[in-house]
Amino acid sequence: MKKTLTAALTAAALLVAAGCGGGSSSSKSDAPVDLRMTIWSANAQHLALFNQIAAGYKKDHPEIGKISFESIPFDSYTTTLTTQIGGGNVPDLAWIFESNAPDFVTSGALEPIDKDADLLPSTTADWEQDGKLYAYPFSTSPLGVFVNTDLVKAAGRPAPAQQIASGTWTWEEAAKTAAAVQALGKGGVVVGDFDYKGWDTLNAIWAGWGARPWSEDGKTCQFDQPAMVDAMTFVHNLIFTQKGMPGPGVTKDFFAGDSGMILTQISRAALLQKAKFHWDLVPLPKGPAGDYSVVGQAGIGVFKRGKHADAAKQFLAYFTNAENSAKLAQFFPPPRKSQLNAATLAKANPLLKPAQLDSVVVKGIETGTIKPSHTGYAELQQTVRAALDPLWKPDADVKTVLSGVCSKINPLLAK
Amino acid sequence: MRLKLLVYGVLLVCCVPFVFPIWWMATTSLKPVSEIFAFPPTLLPTSPTLEAYRQVFELQPFGRQYLNSLYIALVVTIGTLAVSALAGYAFARIRFRGAGIVFVIVLSGLLVPNEVTIIPLYRMFDTFGLVDTHWPLILIPMLGAPSVLATFIMRQFFITLPAELEEAGRVDGLGRFGLFWRVCLPLARPAIGAVAIFTFLHSWNLYLEPIVFLSSKQKFTIPQALTQYVDAYGGPMWNTQLAAATLSALPVLIIFVLAQRQFVEGLAQTGLKG
Amino acid sequence: MTLLLDKPTSRVAPAGKAPYWTMRRRDTLAGWLMVAPQLAGIVVFVLVPLGLVVWYSLHEWNVLAGTFNFVGAENYKAMASDARLGPVLRATGLFSVGLVVLNLSLALFLAVLLNQKLRGTVVFRTLFFSPVVVTLVAWTIVWGFLLQDNGGVNAFLNLFGIDGPNWLRSGGTAMVSVIVVQLFKNVGLNMVLFLAALQGVPAELYEAARIDGASAWARFRRVTVPLISPTILLTMILTIVGSLQVFAQIAVLTQGGPGTSTTVLVYYLYQQAFQFHHFGYGATLSLVLFLIVLVLTAVQWRMRRRWVFHEA
Repeated sequence: MKKTLTAALTAAALLVAAGCGGGSSSSKSDAPVDLRMTIWSANAQHLALFNQIAAGYKKDHPEIGKISFESIPFDSYTTTLTTQIGGGNVPDLAWIFESNAPDFVTSGALEPIDKDADLLPSTTADWEQDGKLYAYPFSTSPLGVFVNTDLVKAAGRPAPAQQIASGTWTWEEAAKTAAAVQALGKGGVVVGDFDYKGWDTLNAIWAGWGARPWSEDGKTCQFDQPAMVDAMTFVHNLIFTQKGMPGPGVTKDFFAGDSGMILTQISRAALLQKAKFHWDLVPLPKGPAGDYSVVGQAGIGVFKRGKHADAAKQFLAYFTNAENSAKLAQFFPPPRKSQLNAATLAKANPLLKPAQLDSVVVKGIETGTIKPSHTGYAELQQTVRAALDPLWKPDADVKTVLSGVCSKINPLLAK
Repeated sequence: MRLKLLVYGVLLVCCVPFVFPIWWMATTSLKPVSEIFAFPPTLLPTSPTLEAYRQVFELQPFGRQYLNSLYIALVVTIGTLAVSALAGYAFARIRFRGAGIVFVIVLSGLLVPNEVTIIPLYRMFDTFGLVDTHWPLILIPMLGAPSVLATFIMRQFFITLPAELEEAGRVDGLGRFGLFWRVCLPLARPAIGAVAIFTFLHSWNLYLEPIVFLSSKQKFTIPQALTQYVDAYGGPMWNTQLAAATLSALPVLIIFVLAQRQFVEGLAQTGLKG
Repeated sequence: MTLLLDKPTSRVAPAGKAPYWTMRRRDTLAGWLMVAPQLAGIVVFVLVPLGLVVWYSLHEWNVLAGTFNFVGAENYKAMASDARLGPVLRATGLFSVGLVVLNLSLALFLAVLLNQKLRGTVVFRTLFFSPVVVTLVAWTIVWGFLLQDNGGVNAFLNLFGIDGPNWLRSGGTAMVSVIVVQLFKNVGLNMVLFLAALQGVPAELYEAARIDGASAWARFRRVTVPLISPTILLTMILTIVGSLQVFAQIAVLTQGGPGTSTTVLVYYLYQQAFQFHHFGYGATLSLVLFLIVLVLTAVQWRMRRRWVFHEA
């Protein structure tokens, strides 16, 4: 009996404790300040570099106790982060996906940070509200096309580099090359992380048609607009008619030499360190709307409700200052004007030639459009994914499917 | 004789979907990445390499994580045995006031999926500063919903014991705890075996809770560690994941082979039988 | 076979003119002490959290902003008008029914085969059980590879000249795939339970039936099934409850697609709560899940008297 009573009391205490919101405690004045940053990379080299930067910071800041970098798997990153925040265990700093930027920025969860004049305006646009910057865009990675030149040659097609020189590097030509490579039994062109689920990566293609998923103000769906219909018709043809892109449920790993081209972030060049084939990096092909480029982004934000928001802000400033930014540049292209030149980048990316860096990275970041984002992105992402699924069949009617997408997401956009 | 051959034939065919994935997992962990996606898939690696196994230990404190999983599973198993044997005994053999309603309350634990309660549980453990410790992974399975099945099995076993056994013990002057400890528990070996294996496997496979509760690599458990073998961009390192998965499955498989007789017979003697 | 709520077998002798600590009182104390850890655990780790979930369901909880506002029945109203809920419940039902039917029949079939007195059944028993010990995530990842359009399953079908479907990519086969992956993972457990039950069926009963001239099927139908019916009930309850909680498989294999054909309730509530940040609504959905499990179990429990065989 006594034990059940104790249990009931404990339970009541827990109810009270759990009911009254989380993260209210503040730091004691003299205890060492521990900082925690959640990240989605579990890469040993990344972590070594972060720890090195953290060690440098601690040398000058005795009040800081431990700085830990907490790797959360990519797939469950936002989920785990939200659980921690919901559970009251708010990290001090966190990496944030570009697509979630509006959610985090508008919710008021983040502390405004100082804006360095060296930052390119195009890189901070997504992270600002009312003139204040809420996260540092530490990785601003343009998309390029990696080409397996061996396969392209074997397929009897001109190398993309030649086509660029002669001004014929267009999607039409790229599709022909892809189809020729795929006819060899390999994959033609692959869109990185697409896998017929991450439809937003197709942005790398449809931006060439000047298409957008929704209007600039985020209020109306534009999947049913002519530009998008044309772009998606092109993609559909590429997959099912020309057969230049591996179909749904087929994996062709570019980095293992199984496909001719891949559209992905240039930072993945590191995966080619041990490649057994010749490769090149070129800008995205020209689309009907002309030259274009696309940039992927990630930011670091400081949580207001973290235990040591001020200390975290100071550390973030150090972590991303010019000197450390140059170090981080080997993995994460910097958003700083002063560092966006082939010379700085070449030091950090030994695998890439200066010309490649200049054409893809520097120009890309300066002019690139950033992946679509919106508040409530995860729900939009899932809804569009489900509504687009009927498109990935040979006999799909592109226009009908895309109108269907709009009827599904318009209520969400209007919220 | 014909019939025998037929049974063997059917058994062999049935084996394929059980064995082939495991075979594929084990052999693929020996393949270089480029071979993993080969079509048609190769049955044996053409150029086997232990590279993936080296990486398993190089990239993470896998040995440490292995020990974590092992000791958590053992503690949970022992704890669950204690909790469920006591409760199972009481429910089966003692008529006490409130037993019916308590039993219904306990059984309700069987019906609440862990996804439902994970957020409040997280808040509770955070209140006591127990996030990023192994306590939630031990306490929740040992006392919460997962232990209900164990209590149920125990109860079904104890209920089959003849009443005379205890009456004899009572004549010898044993109290309730004495009857439980001296008379009934020693007879419960088969049920204990069954509960132990169930509980161990459940803890060993736990996935959602570690991901939510643990954050430092030194404290990870194996299922969670598997998801951490990714390249710099979150792309999975397939062969390393599969190597780690193979390493995690082997010892449990061996334990099962050694203990399976106890397991099956244990179940056969509990109240689960017809 | 005695089941859950039937009376315990222990017969307490009526106490004489005893002082306060009668046998009955002592038993009550001992009983409460013995169930105390389990009861406390259920209260703290199941009932209190469940109560909190009900509390959350009455709120709009924006985790990021840290706002927690009382909205009354808003979440319940939203649920009533949620057009996605219908298909989700249908997928949930489809998955559970498919899994339970396949799982129980296959488990029973294998158990009957293994119950024959043959050499080497121990080996087969181990093989059928082995997926149970493979980490669920690893098992699912492996099947994800095998079920690709250019994966192992279709390569195997190719050997027989069959052009296999794109398993995970079309509505019907995606659901079948998810069910089958779960089936092979866990059928070994039910198989062992059935095997244990079969071994408890006295051989004399078969003999008697044989002498009466009953065919093999009739013996199975009239002797085996009734005798192991308590196990059938138990495995059925466990499998249904388990099937309603299927999560990792969906997350790894289909993410609820194509379309929403494999979005089962647990996955949907996970999406709402953790991905879309609608914690209050997620809590509301999880109460629905709890109610479904509760009702299903209660119904089976009531129905057991109809078909579960009780030893005299």
